[in-house]
Amino acid sequence: SIPTSAASAADPARLQEEQRARSVLRESFLRCLLSMSNKRVQFHMYEKVKVEATFGASDIDVLNFQVSDLQTPIGVQKEALIRCQDVISYCFEV
Amino acid sequence: MDTWPLLGPLDWQHYVNKEVKVKAREQQQQHRGWLLTVDPVSASVVLLSFGEAGGASVRVVMGHADERTAELLRSAFLPRRSRSFGP
Repeated sequence: SIPTSAASAADPARLQEEQRARSVLRESFLRCLLSMSNKRVQFHMYEKVKVEATFGASDIDVLNFQVSDLQTPIGVQKEALIRCQDVISYCFEV
Repeated sequence: MDTWPLLGPLDWQHYVNKEVKVKAREQQQQHRGWLLTVDPVSASVVLLSFGEAGGASVRVVMGHADERTAELLRSAFLPRRSRSFGP
């Protein structure tokens, strides 16, 4: 997780402004995660690995994704956890 | 290289609802789209792009893989050296 910047920690007015910005950004990110559940999502991972899965959920600090029907080069995994450090980007249709 | 996650919410908010391009690590192409939000926890960038046929797709670039994010409209009029991360 990313801590509060040093400049904001010293200045209460700036801290409040930063916290407000943080909550606005976080709320829309959570709504984005909500809209992604039960959708087919393509994951682009390191070493040019591309896999597709049905998105389930993410933990609060975005360390793991829970997915279903993960299509890998060696077969389909019914249920799986994807470690987020291995992911570069992911996309889905809305 | 790892400057994007260190920018902080106030600087990220500047990019919201603007068309940006994001270059991710290990990926040759840049992702273009309208920046929906930035997750303050993981610094992941959420981009929305509209397809030719009318559909839309959302791409999320993880904060740890973000090499460069730049705003398109502004960067068109700025000298090359200051194209990224401008407030």
